[in-house]
Amino acid sequence: MTAAFALEVREVGKNFGGLTALREVSFTVREGEVMGLIGPNGAGKSTLFEIISGNLPPSRGTISYFGTDCTAMPPHLRRRAGMCRTFQKVRLFESMTVEENIRVAASQCVAAQRSVPEEVDKILGQMRLEAQADRRPSELTLADRKRVEIGRAIAGTCRLLMLDESMSGLTHDEAQHLITEILALNRSFGITVIVVEHVLSVLAAMVQRLVVLHNATVIADGAPTQVANDPVVIEAYLGTKQKALR
Amino acid sequence: MMSAPATAANAPPLGKEGYGQLHSLLFLLVPAIVVAALPLMPFVNNYIIAAVVRALIFIALGQAWNVVAGIGGQLSLGHGVFLGIGCYTTGILFNRYGVPPWLGMWVGVLLSFVVALVMGAMTLRMRGVFFALATVSISLAMVQISRHFVDLTGGGDGLALKFFGDSLWAWQSRTPAPFLYAGLMLVMLYYGVTRWILVSRFGLEMQAVRDDEVAAAASGVAVFRTKIMGFVVSAMMTAVAGTLYIQFYMAIDPDAAFGLSQAIQLQLPALLGGLGTATGPIIGGAIMIFLSEVTNWGSTKLGVEGLDILVYGLMLLVVVLRAPKGVVGLLPRALQRGMR
Repeated sequence: MTAAFALEVREVGKNFGGLTALREVSFTVREGEVMGLIGPNGAGKSTLFEIISGNLPPSRGTISYFGTDCTAMPPHLRRRAGMCRTFQKVRLFESMTVEENIRVAASQCVAAQRSVPEEVDKILGQMRLEAQADRRPSELTLADRKRVEIGRAIAGTCRLLMLDESMSGLTHDEAQHLITEILALNRSFGITVIVVEHVLSVLAAMVQRLVVLHNATVIADGAPTQVANDPVVIEAYLGTKQKALR
Repeated sequence: MMSAPATAANAPPLGKEGYGQLHSLLFLLVPAIVVAALPLMPFVNNYIIAAVVRALIFIALGQAWNVVAGIGGQLSLGHGVFLGIGCYTTGILFNRYGVPPWLGMWVGVLLSFVVALVMGAMTLRMRGVFFALATVSISLAMVQISRHFVDLTGGGDGLALKFFGDSLWAWQSRTPAPFLYAGLMLVMLYYGVTRWILVSRFGLEMQAVRDDEVAAAASGVAVFRTKIMGFVVSAMMTAVAGTLYIQFYMAIDPDAAFGLSQAIQLQLPALLGGLGTATGPIIGGAIMIFLSEVTNWGSTKLGVEGLDILVYGLMLLVVVLRAPKGVVGLLPRALQRGMR
């Protein structure tokens, strides 16, 4: 039986000493959905991202992944189960080639019926990285580095892809290309996608649903146009940028 | 349809990496043949052979350290612990119980395995300088512990092996030539092990952890398990080299095994030659012993004590400032790939 929700975040809280970074954050992500997570600096987006991916333990609450409680599961096991992520600042294995970067993830997460070289070739083709396969990350443009990171993230089993500000630093055209590729992954393979992004217009065009974080808690959850018209969101976060979402 | 058989005429041309590997193979094979032939050369005396054996021992120790530090990125300053375990276990078992070194060596390897598991579990969750300090603390504690148990280790005076003359059973010889072949075989074996690690899934995991632990975990790599495995493999390799060390020098003392100076010397071959490469420690170890011999000669001529330590310090300084990737890093890229 397929679980209805790819991800369920239930009353998650996080304290760093006396500082509350997250307060009773709850939301769900349906399988196959493309969801956006927005919020001003310090809202708790990154903390939430780290908790979902297993790099930080929550102080309270639970995380369920396709119906399984994964709150205490280490990050590498989450990844092997198909919970994939990228980083706000691209983190590639700088001493390795592009092909080796992807092979690291493929060798850990590839399904039993596929071979690792096949999977690596598939990802290189999918992300249009064949020509760069033997290059090191330092020789690539930022857009290519981000494509390598996404390629590494989806290598092997990938059911939930979490992108942390993947469009930042890209030109408009580069961002559009990347969005097209991400949406193609969603449509072709049914990969559920969560996008943390600051470029609201980009996000609105891309996602089916937006969750807004402000002051460590969720203040809105709904369709992009609905969220853009929410007075609480306008007051707390969007301000004059609401036009960009329409 | 059957494919045409491979012949020299239709064989695919060697790529840049292929030429690099060919160069690397020749680069290693030629010196290995020369080293193996040294005892047969009329102008080569035992002093020169002994210097080459010293080089081979330090190359093997450097190769072992290179696995955890060069490939795995964990800068252990405590590998003297495993050198000491290799030396003392072999020596104590031989002197007290008559256990031959070829058996004592495996006891040392087993003991290193256990100690590395415990030591790794205690220290490998720390990162960078904290890990280095934790490991060197354990090594320095071992200096005091080995001094304390005088009956077992010989205390500060050290442990001298009982000498049986030329004996295959006791792995002893009046001349250094047998150790030349043992050292050469060990270096070649460790070179093969390093190359295998570099291309294996385990090696890929270690390199991923070295480059970025968080990204490695996000790629499905079990970071802590990978670090422990690298540490344990490196420790066992060090213990084997430790057995060769005590069999050649016929003695060991706490400072020679666990001291800070030894901890630094263990790192020099890989640092000088090129961290994380299979060829680097071989080049670095050869340079190190050559310079050591020159400075020793200079010390004697000039009457300046400790000149070799000064030269080691300067070498480290030059490498860190001018060639952080070692000698291999200074070579053209195609050659570097072959030298990995």
